[in-house]
Amino acid sequence: MYYPEPISKLIDSFTKLPGIGPKTAVRLAFFVLNMKDDDVLDFANALVNAKRELTHCSICGHITDQDPCSICQDTTRDQSIICVVQDPKDVIAMEKMKEYHGKYHVLHGAISPMDGIGPEDINVPDLINRLKDEEVKELILATNPNIEGEATAMYISRLVRPSGIRTTRIAHGLPVGGDLEYADEVTLSKALEGRRDV
Amino acid sequence: MHIDQLQLRNFRNYDKLDIEFDDKINVIIGENAQGKTNLMEAIYLLAFTKSHRTPREKELIQWEQEYAKIEGRITKRNRSFPLEIVISSKGKKAKLNRLEQKRLSDYIGALNVVMFAPEDLSLVKGAPQIRRRFVDMELGQIQPKYIYHLGQYQKVLKQRNYLLKQLQRRKEQDRTMLQVLTEQLVEHAATLLERRFVFIDLLQKWASPIHHGISRQLEELELRYSPTIEVSEAADREKIVTAYLEKFYEIQEKEIERGTTLIGPHRDDLLFYVNKKNVQVYGSQGQQRTTALSVKLAEIELIYNEVGEYPVLLLDDVLSELDDYRQSHLLNTIQGKVQTFVSTTSVDGINHQTLEKAELFKVRDGIVDT
Repeated sequence: MYYPEPISKLIDSFTKLPGIGPKTAVRLAFFVLNMKDDDVLDFANALVNAKRELTHCSICGHITDQDPCSICQDTTRDQSIICVVQDPKDVIAMEKMKEYHGKYHVLHGAISPMDGIGPEDINVPDLINRLKDEEVKELILATNPNIEGEATAMYISRLVRPSGIRTTRIAHGLPVGGDLEYADEVTLSKALEGRRDV
Repeated sequence: MHIDQLQLRNFRNYDKLDIEFDDKINVIIGENAQGKTNLMEAIYLLAFTKSHRTPREKELIQWEQEYAKIEGRITKRNRSFPLEIVISSKGKKAKLNRLEQKRLSDYIGALNVVMFAPEDLSLVKGAPQIRRRFVDMELGQIQPKYIYHLGQYQKVLKQRNYLLKQLQRRKEQDRTMLQVLTEQLVEHAATLLERRFVFIDLLQKWASPIHHGISRQLEELELRYSPTIEVSEAADREKIVTAYLEKFYEIQEKEIERGTTLIGPHRDDLLFYVNKKNVQVYGSQGQQRTTALSVKLAEIELIYNEVGEYPVLLLDDVLSELDDYRQSHLLNTIQGKVQTFVSTTSVDGINHQTLEKAELFKVRDGIVDT
């Protein structure tokens, strides 16, 4: 295609984003050309700043603009519970719930020998150090309910077991507000396994 | 159940085929390399979403075409519904009743097919993986959830093998992760083993009288599932889990040394005994053939019992491989109840009243004449 270089560079940059194909990238690039100068500048600054000013919290590994992050600094939160998740997005999902008042630990992945990811490649050693230094009474393992997430949860529980800290795994089961008939059979059988007295 | 119609687009040597079948016997006649087996393969694919001949799906698409499509109309329990498989360079789509099914276990089982091809004669004497594949395919089509467990098992197995390789090369020292993966593997292994035991038991129940009949009451056939741990068929899940864990503990060093998982359902075998002797080792060619035939015929009855309807039977070029006596035994068994597709180069060698009422299809260079 015969685009002037600045715009073909912009198109190329857009295609690097997830979910954006070549056609959408062209559309977005031409849209940017028609935007107000100030808006474009803000947009560019937002992109650069997001990358430049955000780091990972040195305690929990969550994304933050100040270190330690606001959750780790918050003394009103329950310091005795740590919830272990795979991804910063999981922290945000948990926070939306507004029911959990403990702290977090973000692993940034799950153990997967196939992809060459071992316990040291995710945030596990830091977690173990935290358990030594902080007064933790419970560790909630909220990794994803797939093979790798499950293995990671089991692995962490093994490491923590000797310390006597209570270790729990979040439940599997049916989504609330859903219909039983639409649940797949694997979820349904997990839900049945985890049934409780009422 | 039966297939009423079949449509092919750009599949192997068929540009475009629209064909209606008889609900009893369909005989497909043609010279070699005209497309008889391709037609059988299409029906097999419609049931299993996989070819029985090749793992490379690109081969199924006609030369220089973008996609291949197989569509069939099935009648099952007096209900008629379409099945559709589309294969393109982007992948494969399976549609049941026009709705795409993302998971294999939601699709497989809609159409039950039993295929008997010349290579099935190697079921008895061939490599163990042929028998494992046989068990997995047949068990999968009557218990779709089995496919899910098999998939999970294979995923954990892959992870575990990678870890064992890393331990072998001392890239990794930590044994805790190995224990975790072992436990995960054992969970799925136990499920597979339990289900395989039950299946083999059922299959034996049906195969034994059939074999007795074909062998003119001279032979007793016995099927034995041979797992890589010492455990009796009657063992419950807990016993199986314990047996696996103990064995894995015992061989841990050896596994690290070899860098791969040495026991489990992926290493099991199925053994056939005739009159207490292992047919694979001591059986004659004839006994091995009879055994393979008995097992295939038993499958038909087993599916009828589990699913409530007879499967569709595909006989790809095998009638000529069987002697008159076995031929008529086979045709008597299916007479009038099982929709059957028979492919052959000529009907001359086959003398049986069943074939007289059959619908004939002549295949020539990807074109079918009725």
